[in-house]
Amino acid sequence: MSTLGQKPATQHVSTEKQTITGNGGTSYTLQQSVSQAADIEVFVNNTRQEPTVAYTANGTTLTMTGAVNSSDSFYVIFQGKAIQTAGLPVDAAITASAITASQTITSTGNITTSGTVNTPSINGGQIGGRRNLIINGAMKVAQRGTSFTSQTGDSFVVDRFKLGVTALGTWTTSQSTDAPNGFAYSAKAECTTADASPASSDLLYFYSRFEGQDLQQLKFGTSDAESVSISFYVKCSKTGVFTVNWRNQDAGRSIGSDVTISSADTWEYKTITFVGDTSGAFNNDNGWAANLEFILNGGTNYTSGNTLTSYASHSNSNGTRGGGTTLALGANTGETIQFTGVQLEVGSQATPFEHRSFGEELQLCKRYCQQLVTFQSNYESVGGAAGWGFSSTGVLQYIPLDVQMRIEPAISHNDLDVSDDINAAIATTAIAVNANVSSPRVLYINCTVSSGITQYRSYHLRTNDTSDGKLICDAEL
Amino acid sequence: MSIKLAKYVKSPTHNPNDENTSIYLVYNDDSTWSVPLTVGNRHYDAILEWVAHGNTIEEAD
Repeated sequence: MSTLGQKPATQHVSTEKQTITGNGGTSYTLQQSVSQAADIEVFVNNTRQEPTVAYTANGTTLTMTGAVNSSDSFYVIFQGKAIQTAGLPVDAAITASAITASQTITSTGNITTSGTVNTPSINGGQIGGRRNLIINGAMKVAQRGTSFTSQTGDSFVVDRFKLGVTALGTWTTSQSTDAPNGFAYSAKAECTTADASPASSDLLYFYSRFEGQDLQQLKFGTSDAESVSISFYVKCSKTGVFTVNWRNQDAGRSIGSDVTISSADTWEYKTITFVGDTSGAFNNDNGWAANLEFILNGGTNYTSGNTLTSYASHSNSNGTRGGGTTLALGANTGETIQFTGVQLEVGSQATPFEHRSFGEELQLCKRYCQQLVTFQSNYESVGGAAGWGFSSTGVLQYIPLDVQMRIEPAISHNDLDVSDDINAAIATTAIAVNANVSSPRVLYINCTVSSGITQYRSYHLRTNDTSDGKLICDAEL
Repeated sequence: MSIKLAKYVKSPTHNPNDENTSIYLVYNDDSTWSVPLTVGNRHYDAILEWVAHGNTIEEAD
Protein backbone atom coordinates (compact mmCIF):
# COMPACT_ATOMS: atom_id res chain seq x y z
CA MET A 1 0.00 0.00 0.00
CA SER A 2 1.30 3.47 -0.81
CA THR A 3 1.26 5.86 2.09
CA LEU A 4 1.84 9.49 2.74
CA GLY A 5 3.81 10.57 5.76
CA GLN A 6 6.38 8.68 7.80
CA LYS A 7 6.45 5.03 6.96
CA PRO A 8 5.06 2.91 9.86
CA ALA A 9 7.58 0.75 11.68
CA THR A 10 5.13 -2.18 11.75
CA GLN A 11 1.94 -3.15 10.07
CA HIS A 12 -1.28 -1.62 11.27
CA VAL A 13 -3.01 -3.58 14.06
CA SER A 14 -6.66 -3.18 14.76
CA THR A 15 -8.00 -2.20 18.16
CA GLU A 16 -8.03 -5.26 20.42
CA LYS A 17 -10.18 -6.55 23.24
CA GLN A 18 -8.90 -8.43 26.30
CA THR A 19 -11.40 -10.33 28.42
CA ILE A 20 -10.31 -10.63 32.02
CA THR A 21 -11.65 -12.93 34.72
CA GLY A 22 -12.11 -11.06 37.98
CA ASN A 23 -10.16 -12.44 40.92
CA GLY A 24 -12.03 -10.56 43.63
CA GLY A 25 -9.17 -8.11 43.84
CA THR A 26 -8.06 -4.88 42.13
CA SER A 27 -4.79 -5.76 40.36
CA TYR A 28 -4.71 -7.31 36.91
CA THR A 29 -2.26 -7.85 34.08
CA LEU A 30 -2.84 -6.41 30.64
CA GLN A 31 -1.81 -8.40 27.57
CA GLN A 32 -0.47 -5.23 26.03
CA SER A 33 1.61 -2.48 27.58
CA VAL A 34 -0.03 0.95 27.71
CA SER A 35 1.17 4.43 28.64
CA GLN A 36 -1.76 5.68 30.63
CA ALA A 37 -5.30 4.98 31.73
CA ALA A 38 -6.78 6.77 28.73
CA ASP A 39 -5.13 4.28 26.37
CA ILE A 40 -7.72 1.69 27.28
CA GLU A 41 -11.44 1.48 27.83
CA VAL A 42 -12.34 -0.67 30.82
CA PHE A 43 -15.83 -2.16 31.04
CA VAL A 44 -17.34 -3.90 34.09
CA ASN A 45 -20.70 -5.47 33.40
CA ASN A 46 -20.77 -3.49 30.16
CA THR A 47 -20.42 -0.21 32.00
CA ARG A 48 -17.47 1.89 31.00
CA GLN A 49 -15.22 2.91 33.85
CA GLU A 50 -13.83 6.40 34.21
CA PRO A 51 -10.05 6.55 33.59
CA THR A 52 -7.85 7.52 36.55
CA VAL A 53 -10.94 7.46 38.81
CA ALA A 54 -12.20 3.89 38.47
CA TYR A 55 -8.86 2.56 37.34
CA THR A 56 -5.29 3.42 36.52
CA ALA A 57 -2.99 1.76 34.03
CA ASN A 58 0.74 1.80 33.46
CA GLY A 59 2.66 -0.69 31.42
CA THR A 60 0.89 -4.04 31.75
CA THR A 61 -0.51 -3.24 35.18
CA LEU A 62 -4.21 -2.45 35.50
CA THR A 63 -5.31 -1.32 38.95
CA MET A 64 -9.04 -1.09 39.65
CA THR A 65 -10.33 1.19 42.39
CA GLY A 66 -12.90 -1.43 43.35
CA ALA A 67 -12.64 -5.24 43.40
CA VAL A 68 -13.90 -7.23 40.44
CA ASN A 69 -15.39 -10.65 40.90
CA SER A 70 -15.27 -13.63 38.58
CA SER A 71 -18.99 -13.35 37.98
CA ASP A 72 -18.58 -9.85 36.59
CA SER A 73 -18.31 -9.22 32.90
CA PHE A 74 -14.89 -7.60 32.78
CA TYR A 75 -13.03 -6.63 29.63
CA VAL A 76 -10.62 -4.04 28.24
CA ILE A 77 -10.56 -2.35 24.83
CA PHE A 78 -7.15 -1.09 23.80
CA GLN A 79 -7.55 2.35 22.23
CA GLY A 80 -4.02 2.53 20.96
CA LYS A 81 -1.33 0.05 21.59
CA ALA A 82 1.38 1.43 23.76
CA ILE A 83 4.04 0.07 21.45
CA GLN A 84 3.10 3.16 19.40
CA THR A 85 3.74 1.62 15.98
CA ALA A 86 0.34 1.78 14.44
CA GLY A 87 0.34 1.82 10.68
CA LEU A 88 -2.17 3.50 8.42
CA PRO A 89 -5.34 1.61 7.65
CA VAL A 90 -5.95 0.60 4.09
CA ASP A 91 -7.88 3.19 2.03
CA ALA A 92 -8.09 5.58 4.94
CA ALA A 93 -8.02 9.28 4.20
CA ILE A 94 -4.73 10.99 4.87
CA THR A 95 -5.11 14.27 6.64
CA ALA A 96 -2.82 17.24 6.40
CA SER A 97 -1.61 16.59 9.90
CA ALA A 98 -0.17 13.29 8.73
CA ILE A 99 2.35 15.11 6.56
CA THR A 100 5.02 17.14 8.24
CA ALA A 101 6.75 20.03 6.56
CA SER A 102 10.03 18.31 5.98
CA GLN A 103 8.83 15.02 4.56
CA THR A 104 9.48 13.85 1.03
CA ILE A 105 6.62 12.09 -0.70
CA THR A 106 7.47 9.50 -3.28
CA SER A 107 4.91 7.58 -5.23
CA THR A 108 4.76 5.77 -8.53
CA GLY A 109 1.01 6.26 -8.61
CA ASN A 110 -1.06 9.29 -9.43
CA ILE A 111 -2.06 12.09 -7.13
CA THR A 112 -5.54 13.38 -7.82
CA THR A 113 -7.17 16.34 -6.21
CA SER A 114 -10.27 18.37 -6.85
CA GLY A 115 -8.78 21.15 -4.77
CA THR A 116 -5.95 23.58 -5.40
CA VAL A 117 -2.32 22.59 -5.52
CA ASN A 118 -0.23 25.23 -3.82
CA THR A 119 3.45 24.88 -4.63
CA PRO A 120 6.25 27.25 -5.52
CA SER A 121 7.86 24.94 -8.06
CA ILE A 122 7.42 21.89 -10.27
CA ASN A 123 10.43 19.74 -11.13
CA GLY A 124 12.63 22.29 -9.42
CA GLY A 125 11.72 24.90 -12.00
CA GLN A 126 8.92 27.22 -12.92
CA ILE A 127 5.39 25.89 -12.73
CA GLY A 128 4.33 26.46 -16.29
CA GLY A 129 4.56 28.61 -19.35
CA ARG A 130 7.69 28.85 -21.46
CA ARG A 131 9.24 25.81 -19.85
CA ASN A 132 10.91 24.93 -23.10
CA LEU A 133 14.04 26.99 -23.66
CA ILE A 134 14.26 25.63 -27.21
CA ILE A 135 12.71 27.74 -29.97
CA ASN A 136 10.93 25.87 -32.77
CA GLY A 137 11.38 22.50 -31.07
CA ALA A 138 8.42 21.10 -33.02
CA MET A 139 10.12 22.13 -36.28
CA LYS A 140 7.08 24.16 -37.39
CA VAL A 141 8.88 27.20 -38.76
CA ALA A 142 11.03 26.95 -41.89
CA GLN A 143 11.39 30.51 -43.20
CA ARG A 144 14.40 29.75 -45.39
CA GLY A 145 12.69 26.90 -47.22
CA THR A 146 11.46 23.36 -46.66
CA SER A 147 14.05 21.36 -48.59
CA PHE A 148 17.71 21.82 -49.43
CA THR A 149 19.80 19.53 -51.57
CA SER A 150 23.55 19.00 -51.81
CA GLN A 151 24.36 20.24 -48.31
CA THR A 152 28.05 19.86 -47.51
CA GLY A 153 28.47 22.54 -44.84
CA ASP A 154 26.57 23.91 -41.85
CA SER A 155 23.06 24.84 -42.94
CA PHE A 156 19.66 25.41 -41.43
CA VAL A 157 17.19 22.55 -41.75
CA VAL A 158 14.40 24.57 -40.16
CA ASP A 159 14.57 27.77 -38.14
CA ARG A 160 16.98 27.57 -35.20
CA PHE A 161 18.17 24.04 -36.05
CA LYS A 162 21.20 23.33 -38.19
CA LEU A 163 22.83 20.27 -39.62
CA GLY A 164 26.56 20.76 -39.20
CA VAL A 165 28.59 19.01 -41.87
CA THR A 166 32.36 19.09 -42.00
CA ALA A 167 33.51 16.98 -44.94
CA LEU A 168 31.23 14.13 -43.98
CA GLY A 169 29.03 13.28 -46.93
CA THR A 170 26.44 15.21 -48.85
CA TRP A 171 22.95 15.67 -47.47
CA THR A 172 19.45 16.64 -48.39
CA THR A 173 17.75 18.36 -45.48
CA SER A 174 14.07 19.06 -45.17
CA GLN A 175 11.12 19.94 -43.01
CA SER A 176 9.40 16.57 -43.15
CA THR A 177 5.72 15.91 -42.48
CA ASP A 178 6.64 12.52 -41.03
CA ALA A 179 6.36 13.00 -37.27
CA PRO A 180 5.18 11.16 -34.16
CA ASN A 181 1.58 11.55 -33.04
CA GLY A 182 0.91 15.07 -31.83
CA PHE A 183 3.49 16.64 -34.09
CA ALA A 184 3.14 17.84 -37.67
CA TYR A 185 6.78 18.18 -38.66
CA SER A 186 10.25 16.89 -38.10
CA ALA A 187 13.68 18.06 -39.23
CA LYS A 188 15.16 15.46 -41.54
CA ALA A 189 18.58 14.79 -43.03
CA GLU A 190 19.19 12.20 -45.73
CA CYS A 191 22.59 11.14 -46.95
CA THR A 192 23.01 11.40 -50.71
CA THR A 193 26.77 10.87 -50.85
CA ALA A 194 28.19 8.56 -48.22
CA ASP A 195 31.43 8.77 -46.27
CA ALA A 196 32.22 5.44 -44.65
CA SER A 197 35.68 6.48 -43.50
CA PRO A 198 35.59 9.99 -42.05
CA ALA A 199 38.91 11.76 -41.69
CA SER A 200 39.92 12.73 -38.16
CA SER A 201 38.45 16.24 -38.31
CA ASP A 202 35.21 15.33 -40.11
CA LEU A 203 31.99 15.89 -38.24
CA LEU A 204 28.24 15.51 -38.62
CA TYR A 205 25.91 16.91 -36.01
CA PHE A 206 22.49 18.47 -35.48
CA TYR A 207 22.25 21.44 -33.17
CA SER A 208 20.57 24.58 -31.86
CA ARG A 209 22.24 27.54 -30.18
CA PHE A 210 21.27 29.77 -27.26
CA GLU A 211 21.86 33.35 -26.22
CA GLY A 212 23.47 33.75 -22.81
CA GLN A 213 20.86 36.21 -21.59
CA ASP A 214 18.21 33.51 -22.07
CA LEU A 215 20.03 31.03 -19.82
CA GLN A 216 20.58 33.10 -16.69
CA GLN A 217 17.85 31.22 -14.82
CA LEU A 218 20.04 28.11 -14.91
CA LYS A 219 22.34 29.83 -12.38
CA PHE A 220 25.38 28.11 -13.88
CA GLY A 221 28.60 29.16 -12.26
CA THR A 222 26.97 29.33 -8.82
CA SER A 223 26.37 26.82 -6.06
CA ASP A 224 22.67 26.97 -6.96
CA ALA A 225 23.19 25.74 -10.53
CA GLU A 226 20.02 24.10 -11.81
CA SER A 227 19.68 20.73 -13.47
CA VAL A 228 18.41 20.73 -17.04
CA SER A 229 16.34 18.02 -18.66
CA ILE A 230 16.36 17.40 -22.38
CA SER A 231 13.76 15.41 -24.25
CA PHE A 232 13.19 14.73 -27.94
CA TYR A 233 11.83 12.34 -30.51
CA VAL A 234 14.25 10.72 -32.92
CA LYS A 235 13.81 8.40 -35.87
CA CYS A 236 16.76 6.92 -37.70
CA SER A 237 17.16 4.47 -40.54
CA LYS A 238 19.69 2.50 -38.50
CA THR A 239 20.25 1.53 -34.89
CA GLY A 240 23.19 2.72 -32.89
CA VAL A 241 24.42 5.21 -30.31
CA PHE A 242 25.01 8.94 -30.57
CA THR A 243 26.15 11.50 -28.02
CA VAL A 244 24.03 14.42 -26.88
CA ASN A 245 26.14 17.33 -25.64
CA TRP A 246 25.07 20.29 -23.53
CA ARG A 247 27.84 22.64 -24.45
CA ASN A 248 28.61 25.84 -22.57
CA GLN A 249 30.39 27.88 -25.20
CA ASP A 250 31.08 30.82 -22.89
CA ALA A 251 32.93 28.70 -20.34
CA GLY A 252 34.32 26.13 -22.78
CA ARG A 253 32.75 23.29 -20.82
CA SER A 254 30.45 20.43 -21.79
CA ILE A 255 28.61 17.46 -20.42
CA GLY A 256 27.23 14.63 -22.52
CA SER A 257 25.12 11.52 -22.52
CA ASP A 258 24.87 8.67 -24.98
CA VAL A 259 21.52 7.88 -26.56
CA THR A 260 20.68 4.55 -28.15
CA ILE A 261 18.46 4.22 -31.18
CA SER A 262 16.94 0.85 -30.46
CA SER A 263 14.77 0.29 -33.54
CA ALA A 264 15.39 1.46 -37.07
CA ASP A 265 12.75 3.60 -38.79
CA THR A 266 10.78 3.98 -35.56
CA TRP A 267 10.01 7.14 -33.62
CA GLU A 268 11.58 6.89 -30.15
CA TYR A 269 11.24 9.31 -27.24
CA LYS A 270 14.43 10.05 -25.33
CA THR A 271 15.09 11.96 -22.12
CA ILE A 272 18.32 13.09 -20.51
CA THR A 273 18.98 15.07 -17.34
CA PHE A 274 22.21 16.93 -16.73
CA VAL A 275 23.10 18.40 -13.35
CA GLY A 276 23.85 22.09 -13.19
CA ASP A 277 27.39 23.33 -13.65
CA THR A 278 28.61 25.21 -10.60
CA SER A 279 31.75 26.37 -12.38
CA GLY A 280 30.83 27.68 -15.79
CA ALA A 281 28.61 30.76 -16.01
CA PHE A 282 26.82 31.99 -19.13
CA ASN A 283 27.52 35.57 -20.15
CA ASN A 284 24.48 37.79 -19.74
CA ASP A 285 24.42 39.06 -23.30
CA ASN A 286 23.09 38.35 -26.79
CA GLY A 287 26.07 36.29 -27.84
CA TRP A 288 26.35 32.59 -28.53
CA ALA A 289 26.49 30.97 -25.10
CA ALA A 290 25.50 27.34 -25.54
CA ASN A 291 24.75 24.49 -27.89
CA LEU A 292 22.42 21.57 -27.58
CA GLU A 293 24.07 19.23 -30.05
CA PHE A 294 23.56 15.70 -31.27
CA ILE A 295 26.85 14.22 -32.52
CA LEU A 296 25.82 11.81 -35.28
CA ASN A 297 29.17 10.90 -36.79
CA GLY A 298 32.72 12.12 -36.78
CA GLY A 299 36.37 11.36 -37.16
CA THR A 300 38.68 10.42 -34.34
CA ASN A 301 39.01 14.04 -33.22
CA TYR A 302 35.41 13.79 -32.05
CA THR A 303 34.66 10.11 -31.41
CA SER A 304 37.82 8.45 -30.16
CA GLY A 305 37.45 9.42 -26.51
CA ASN A 306 34.77 9.08 -23.88
CA THR A 307 31.57 10.99 -23.45
CA LEU A 308 31.94 13.70 -20.81
CA THR A 309 29.63 12.46 -18.06
CA SER A 310 30.57 15.39 -15.84
CA TYR A 311 31.37 18.95 -16.83
CA ALA A 312 34.83 19.39 -18.26
CA SER A 313 36.58 21.42 -20.91
CA HIS A 314 35.38 20.39 -24.34
CA SER A 315 37.67 20.06 -27.27
CA ASN A 316 37.52 19.34 -30.96
CA SER A 317 40.63 17.23 -30.78
CA ASN A 318 40.48 14.86 -27.81
CA GLY A 319 37.50 12.77 -28.80
CA THR A 320 35.29 13.96 -25.96
CA ARG A 321 32.64 15.83 -27.91
CA GLY A 322 31.22 12.68 -29.51
CA GLY A 323 33.03 10.03 -27.52
CA GLY A 324 30.03 7.74 -27.35
CA THR A 325 28.95 8.09 -30.96
CA THR A 326 29.09 4.83 -32.89
CA LEU A 327 26.05 5.46 -35.09
CA ALA A 328 28.22 6.36 -38.09
CA LEU A 329 25.34 8.11 -39.81
CA GLY A 330 26.22 8.77 -43.43
CA ALA A 331 28.30 5.65 -43.89
CA ASN A 332 25.80 4.61 -46.55
CA THR A 333 23.76 6.55 -49.05
CA GLY A 334 20.12 6.77 -48.15
CA GLU A 335 20.60 6.80 -44.38
CA THR A 336 18.27 9.23 -42.64
CA ILE A 337 17.68 10.79 -39.26
CA GLN A 338 14.80 12.94 -38.02
CA PHE A 339 14.23 14.98 -34.89
CA THR A 340 11.23 16.75 -33.42
CA GLY A 341 9.73 17.65 -30.05
CA VAL A 342 13.08 18.90 -28.81
CA GLN A 343 12.77 20.41 -25.34
CA LEU A 344 15.28 21.73 -22.82
CA GLU A 345 13.87 22.72 -19.46
CA VAL A 346 14.97 23.56 -15.96
CA GLY A 347 14.73 20.70 -13.48
CA SER A 348 15.55 17.06 -13.10
CA GLN A 349 12.37 15.71 -14.65
CA ALA A 350 11.64 15.85 -18.36
CA THR A 351 8.02 16.80 -18.92
CA PRO A 352 5.74 16.46 -21.94
CA PHE A 353 6.61 18.75 -24.84
CA GLU A 354 5.38 22.32 -24.49
CA HIS A 355 3.48 22.97 -27.70
CA ARG A 356 3.31 26.58 -28.81
CA SER A 357 1.29 28.04 -31.65
CA PHE A 358 2.85 28.58 -35.05
CA GLY A 359 2.44 32.32 -34.55
CA GLU A 360 4.33 32.26 -31.28
CA GLU A 361 7.15 30.17 -32.65
CA LEU A 362 7.39 32.35 -35.76
CA GLN A 363 7.73 35.51 -33.67
CA LEU A 364 10.43 33.90 -31.55
CA CYS A 365 12.27 32.73 -34.66
CA LYS A 366 12.19 36.21 -36.16
CA ARG A 367 14.69 37.44 -33.60
CA TYR A 368 17.19 35.36 -35.57
CA CYS A 369 15.82 35.25 -39.10
CA GLN A 370 13.17 37.22 -40.96
CA GLN A 371 12.03 36.35 -44.43
CA LEU A 372 10.68 39.81 -45.20
CA VAL A 373 9.24 38.81 -48.51
CA THR A 374 9.03 35.61 -50.47
CA PHE A 375 7.40 34.90 -53.77
CA GLN A 376 3.90 33.73 -53.00
CA SER A 377 1.95 35.87 -55.41
CA ASN A 378 2.91 38.26 -58.14
CA TYR A 379 4.47 41.52 -57.05
CA GLU A 380 4.33 40.93 -53.32
CA SER A 381 5.77 43.98 -51.59
CA VAL A 382 8.17 44.07 -48.71
CA GLY A 383 5.89 45.02 -45.88
CA GLY A 384 6.34 48.50 -44.49
CA ALA A 385 9.13 49.41 -46.86
CA ALA A 386 9.34 53.07 -47.77
CA GLY A 387 11.89 54.36 -50.22
CA TRP A 388 12.70 56.91 -52.83
CA GLY A 389 15.11 57.40 -55.67
CA PHE A 390 18.33 59.21 -54.92
CA SER A 391 19.90 58.86 -58.41
CA SER A 392 19.04 57.36 -61.77
CA THR A 393 20.35 54.00 -60.56
CA GLY A 394 19.68 54.03 -56.83
CA VAL A 395 16.75 53.67 -54.46
CA LEU A 396 17.12 53.75 -50.71
CA GLN A 397 14.67 51.87 -48.52
CA TYR A 398 13.83 51.98 -44.83
CA ILE A 399 12.29 48.68 -43.73
CA PRO A 400 10.97 48.32 -40.18
CA LEU A 401 11.67 44.80 -39.00
CA ASP A 402 8.82 42.63 -37.68
CA VAL A 403 10.68 41.88 -34.45
CA GLN A 404 13.79 43.46 -33.01
CA MET A 405 16.52 41.13 -34.11
CA ARG A 406 19.36 39.80 -31.98
CA ILE A 407 21.88 41.96 -33.77
CA GLU A 408 22.03 44.08 -36.92
CA PRO A 409 21.22 41.54 -39.63
CA ALA A 410 22.96 40.56 -42.83
CA ILE A 411 20.67 40.29 -45.85
CA SER A 412 20.37 37.99 -48.80
CA HIS A 413 18.02 38.60 -51.70
CA ASN A 414 16.84 37.25 -54.99
CA ASP A 415 14.69 38.55 -57.85
CA LEU A 416 13.52 41.82 -56.37
CA ASP A 417 12.25 44.87 -58.25
CA VAL A 418 11.66 48.46 -57.28
CA SER A 419 8.42 49.97 -58.48
CA ASP A 420 6.59 53.30 -58.37
CA ASP A 421 3.35 51.45 -59.27
CA ILE A 422 2.93 53.66 -62.36
CA ASN A 423 5.75 52.71 -64.65
CA ALA A 424 7.28 49.32 -65.28
CA ALA A 425 9.12 47.85 -62.34
CA ILE A 426 12.91 47.87 -62.49
CA ALA A 427 14.97 44.87 -61.48
CA THR A 428 17.56 45.35 -58.79
CA THR A 429 21.13 44.39 -59.58
CA ALA A 430 22.45 44.74 -56.04
CA ILE A 431 21.13 45.43 -52.57
CA ALA A 432 23.40 46.46 -49.72
CA VAL A 433 22.82 47.31 -46.08
CA ASN A 434 24.12 50.61 -44.79
CA ALA A 435 25.59 49.85 -41.39
CA ASN A 436 25.73 53.58 -40.61
CA VAL A 437 21.97 53.71 -40.38
CA SER A 438 20.68 50.14 -39.97
CA SER A 439 19.93 48.68 -36.56
CA PRO A 440 18.38 45.50 -35.14
CA ARG A 441 15.01 47.31 -35.47
CA VAL A 442 15.19 49.01 -38.86
CA LEU A 443 16.87 47.92 -42.05
CA TYR A 444 18.33 50.64 -44.25
CA ILE A 445 19.33 49.38 -47.67
CA ASN A 446 20.49 50.79 -50.98
CA CYS A 447 19.02 49.12 -54.05
CA THR A 448 20.97 49.45 -57.26
CA VAL A 449 19.38 49.17 -60.70
CA SER A 450 20.80 49.61 -64.18
CA SER A 451 18.83 52.80 -64.98
CA GLY A 452 15.44 54.44 -64.98
CA ILE A 453 15.01 55.74 -61.45
CA THR A 454 13.56 59.22 -61.04
CA GLN A 455 15.21 61.12 -58.22
CA TYR A 456 12.98 61.86 -55.21
CA ARG A 457 10.16 59.67 -56.54
CA SER A 458 8.75 57.12 -54.10
CA TYR A 459 9.45 53.47 -54.78
CA HIS A 460 8.68 50.26 -53.00
CA LEU A 461 10.53 46.97 -53.04
CA ARG A 462 8.72 43.88 -54.30
CA THR A 463 9.23 40.44 -55.78
CA ASN A 464 9.18 40.15 -59.53
CA ASP A 465 6.58 37.93 -61.09
CA THR A 466 8.72 35.16 -62.49
CA SER A 467 10.54 33.28 -59.80
CA ASP A 468 11.49 33.00 -56.15
CA GLY A 469 11.94 36.59 -55.15
CA LYS A 470 12.95 36.91 -51.53
CA LEU A 471 14.66 39.09 -48.95
CA ILE A 472 16.10 37.38 -45.88
CA CYS A 473 17.49 39.09 -42.80
CA ASP A 474 19.88 36.93 -40.78
CA ALA A 475 20.96 37.58 -37.20
CA GLU A 476 21.44 33.96 -36.16
CA LEU A 477 23.93 32.76 -33.62
CA MET B 1 30.71 27.14 -45.23
CA SER B 2 33.75 28.48 -47.07
CA ILE B 3 34.02 32.02 -48.34
CA LYS B 4 34.68 32.65 -52.00
CA LEU B 5 34.74 36.45 -52.02
CA ALA B 6 34.42 39.36 -49.62
CA LYS B 7 34.37 42.95 -50.85
CA TYR B 8 33.72 46.22 -49.05
CA VAL B 9 30.78 48.36 -50.14
CA LYS B 10 30.38 52.11 -49.56
CA SER B 11 26.85 53.40 -49.29
CA PRO B 12 26.11 56.36 -51.59
CA THR B 13 23.68 57.74 -49.04
CA HIS B 14 23.97 58.51 -45.33
CA ASN B 15 27.70 58.12 -45.60
CA PRO B 16 29.22 61.61 -45.18
CA ASN B 17 32.73 60.29 -44.58
CA ASP B 18 32.68 57.90 -47.54
CA GLU B 19 33.29 54.92 -45.26
CA ASN B 20 32.86 51.24 -45.90
CA THR B 21 29.30 50.48 -44.78
CA SER B 22 28.96 46.77 -45.55
CA ILE B 23 30.67 43.78 -47.12
CA TYR B 24 29.48 41.94 -50.20
CA LEU B 25 30.00 38.29 -49.33
CA VAL B 26 29.90 35.24 -51.58
CA TYR B 27 30.10 31.75 -50.10
CA ASN B 28 31.34 28.73 -52.00
CA ASP B 29 27.76 27.62 -52.65
CA ASP B 30 27.34 30.95 -54.47
CA SER B 31 24.91 32.32 -51.91
CA THR B 32 25.43 36.07 -51.55
CA TRP B 33 25.01 38.33 -48.54
CA SER B 34 25.27 41.98 -47.66
CA VAL B 35 26.94 41.96 -44.27
CA PRO B 36 27.05 44.82 -41.76
CA LEU B 37 30.39 45.52 -40.09
CA THR B 38 29.06 44.26 -36.78
CA VAL B 39 30.97 41.85 -34.57
CA GLY B 40 28.56 39.17 -33.46
CA ASN B 41 26.85 38.92 -36.82
CA ARG B 42 27.79 35.37 -37.78
CA HIS B 43 28.63 36.31 -41.36
CA TYR B 44 30.89 39.15 -40.28
CA ASP B 45 32.53 36.88 -37.70
CA ALA B 46 33.11 34.32 -40.46
CA ILE B 47 34.75 37.01 -42.57
CA LEU B 48 37.02 38.02 -39.69
CA GLU B 49 38.03 34.39 -39.23
CA TRP B 50 38.63 34.10 -42.96
CA VAL B 51 40.86 37.18 -42.82
CA ALA B 52 42.70 35.75 -39.82
CA HIS B 53 43.60 32.81 -42.02
CA GLY B 54 45.41 35.13 -44.43
CA ASN B 55 42.63 36.19 -46.78
CA THR B 56 41.87 39.76 -47.77
CA ILE B 57 38.66 41.73 -48.14
CA GLU B 58 38.65 43.53 -51.49
CA GLU B 59 38.40 47.30 -51.45
CA ALA B 60 35.16 49.00 -52.45
CA ASP B 61 34.70 50.28 -55.98
